Amino acid sequence: MERAGELALRHGFAAAVAIGALGLLAYPLISDNLYYQNMIILSTLLAIMASGWNIISGFTGYVSLGHSVFLGIGAYTTALLSIRVFEGASPFWFVPVSAVVAGVFAAVVGAILMRTRGHAFVILTIAFLFVMQIVTLNWSDLTNGNHGVTLPLPRWDAAYQDWPFYYSLLGLLALSVALSWWIRRTKFGMGLIAIREDESKAAGVGINTRVYKVLAYIASAVFVGAAGGVYAYYLTFIDPRGMFRIIVSVQIVLAALLGGRGTIMGPVIGAFIFEPLNEVTNNVELLAGPRRLVFYGAFLAAIVLLLPRGIIPSLAEIRTRRREQRTAATVGQRLERPLVRVAERAPAAADPSGRPLLEVRGVGKRFGGLAALDDCTLAVPEGSITALIGPNGSGKTTLFNVVDGTMPHDHGEVWFDGRRIDGLSPWARAHAGIGRTFQITRLFREMTVLENVVTPLRSFSWRQLGADAVSGPEAERAEELLEFVGMRRFAPMRAGALSYGQQKLVELAQVLMLDPKLIMLDEPAGGINPTLIEHMAEMIRELNRRGTTFVIVEHNVPLVLGLCNPVHVLARGSCLCSGPPDTVQHDPAVLDAYLGEDYLAGVG
Amino acid sequence: MTQLVQVLILGLLIGGVYALLASGLTLIFGVMNVINVAQGALFIFAAFLSWTLWKEAGIDPLLSALVTTPIMFAVGWLMYVGTIQWISGKPASMSVLLTFALALVIEGVSGMVWSTTSHSATPGYFASSYRIGDFYFPKAQVYGCGIAVIVLLALYALLRGTWLGRAIRAVSENVSSARLVGVNAHNVAALTFAVGVATTGAGGAIASVLYPFVPGSHYVWISRLLGIIVLGGMGSLPGAVIGALAMGVSETMTATYVSPRWATLVPYVVIMVVLLARPQGIMGAKLREDVVV
Repeated sequence: MERAGELALRHGFAAAVAIGALGLLAYPLISDNLYYQNMIILSTLLAIMASGWNIISGFTGYVSLGHSVFLGIGAYTTALLSIRVFEGASPFWFVPVSAVVAGVFAAVVGAILMRTRGHAFVILTIAFLFVMQIVTLNWSDLTNGNHGVTLPLPRWDAAYQDWPFYYSLLGLLALSVALSWWIRRTKFGMGLIAIREDESKAAGVGINTRVYKVLAYIASAVFVGAAGGVYAYYLTFIDPRGMFRIIVSVQIVLAALLGGRGTIMGPVIGAFIFEPLNEVTNNVELLAGPRRLVFYGAFLAAIVLLLPRGIIPSLAEIRTRRREQRTAATVGQRLERPLVRVAERAPAAADPSGRPLLEVRGVGKRFGGLAALDDCTLAVPEGSITALIGPNGSGKTTLFNVVDGTMPHDHGEVWFDGRRIDGLSPWARAHAGIGRTFQITRLFREMTVLENVVTPLRSFSWRQLGADAVSGPEAERAEELLEFVGMRRFAPMRAGALSYGQQKLVELAQVLMLDPKLIMLDEPAGGINPTLIEHMAEMIRELNRRGTTFVIVEHNVPLVLGLCNPVHVLARGSCLCSGPPDTVQHDPAVLDAYLGEDYLAGVG
Repeated sequence: MTQLVQVLILGLLIGGVYALLASGLTLIFGVMNVINVAQGALFIFAAFLSWTLWKEAGIDPLLSALVTTPIMFAVGWLMYVGTIQWISGKPASMSVLLTFALALVIEGVSGMVWSTTSHSATPGYFASSYRIGDFYFPKAQVYGCGIAVIVLLALYALLRGTWLGRAIRAVSENVSSARLVGVNAHNVAALTFAVGVATTGAGGAIASVLYPFVPGSHYVWISRLLGIIVLGGMGSLPGAVIGALAMGVSETMTATYVSPRWATLVPYVVIMVVLLARPQGIMGAKLREDVVV
């Protein structure tokens, strides 16, 4: 019943979009009203920009408040080529060049801007816009500066009105939407969403975030650049202040937020709501001049405060919330029996003195005056379940962060599987075979459980970017892993809706997807119930039997002593002592630093 | 050589005013992790207020700081209660969007009240200078810088010497710990925001004499202020002062030795270079980022 309703809704939406598209295609043929043609042209332009913005800001989560810079770059490219280089040629020829130039700008600037995030990124996008405005204003030899550039007038028959502009922009919009749609269903798109949800986690599961982000920035710029070329010709006159306007960037954000960022059609719908509203209110005396700014400002503030996710996602959210309420009952159900079907690796004998898989040599890491790691040296033998224990603040998690590349270290070396890895990016370390879970689980909350598990990548290749996000064999393997951890039936649920213990299990499955040689577990038994702890220990043993090496940070001492060998004890950032569990638990230094005098008495 | 020293003098005098304007921005960021993009628009609004007091009531524009400061304090408090408090805990980009939206509203309101033509307060000392040896000290700039220094010292005293100051510093270091020891973080945030906005009262009063302004001037100003606090280390008051002096000098230098046209580019170049090369700024400490609260 519910499914049918949802299906109907989805089909209804698709039908509405199709009817809208047909209406737009047919409009100039039916009516010769130039006012409305102009309104549609401007709406389409805004839709192209909002759709592009959505790739970097909606999918990837990097909010750009200067995205109209690519409109300006595209407009100036076409304008300057058609008056300075190829006089007499139709400016339409240069529209593809505009796209390429915008893309190149995005690649170069993106490679720099993408090293920042949050506030810094937003500010830099605004700065980039203003810099381009000032440069075009001041470089008057090339751009005519203040005086602007006048393009040739259209030479087609007046009977065709603005059709060439109208249809070329509509075509660009179609391409832009198609690009968004394609991205959203590929590995590339899923990686972008993962970056939005938790960037360092994404890097840790093998996603080359640097390349992904720059590609997303380029993808978000090319069609805006092309549209800028068409727009320049449409206006026939452009100047720096008009082309690099911050207010246009605000409109882009408004339209995309209104329709719903992160959705495919949302930004387009938002643009087709906003721009006509903008046009109509432009002619209302009450909303002219400075009042217009008040209107924009109040509108933007209202959306940010009241509908931060936009119209489409807000509606969708109401629907899923209702659905989650109904499945909530199943969340408390017993876990399924673990069926063990994970990849077999040649089982290595757990020999504590065997070949070290991971070696940390004299690693130091300071936070201001605090030395979190101080000349720390230890080794993890291949095939072992090694424990890392020590009081709070002794540097255990920092060591994990240094090993998996979440954090740069100050000095020392990290060796893994015979090669030095401390200079590698987090994703390269994941590709080398290091997987890691977090003390406080870090799943991609807005993704489903299944998507979470298929997100990790074992290598980087350009071809893989275009592969289907969730493909057959991968989904199958993910389901197997979910079954192994006992979470298979939760596969279609949103990860954020799971309980803490369940998230721990899913995070383990996610790491297993990397098929790592070494798994680092940060407090696998923290905050979960005793049955689940037993279950977790069983799985660790099972995986270890199949050849996976473990490093475990854990405060549950009985669990550690029963499961691990060797045990490393960390105190004040360095390794206090190492050895088999029964040696370590009687070491006076350890008793003093961590276990406490009562411990021995307790064990008796 | 003489010219260089003169340029340095002018740059430092302007830098003092910049420091005052940037102090509010950095204070707000330090405590609530919000970049108040509306700070520039608020300060232009305050400049209009000073201009009106001077034009209509004959109050010296610099002295009008005594009136505009409490007004801007109230505006800041209302802004916090009405809007800012609702986005605490949301992603950083949302707070930038919101304060940007507020900047547009304030720009629009300024335009509606005072029109979009260029304004400037011109009291008697407006065009005259002190002269020491070969060097000129424009009176308006000297007075402006003096007031800025006084307000900055008062702000510093507030932060260092009062309970509120301690609470503000506590919240900026660690919100949850401050809560645990009985600081009402919500009230502290509201007061900080109001104090941060109140600095635009004095800042606007000074700037109304020093620079002609239109409602849209705030873009240039907010870029400059962002450049300053990014340079000094976001959230650091001493950093803001150093950043402001550096910005004042480098702008004046560029205007004198390159061209005034390119001086407008300086803040953006500073922002880009600093954010990319040393994101924590000059005075900012590198903090642990892995501990998510």
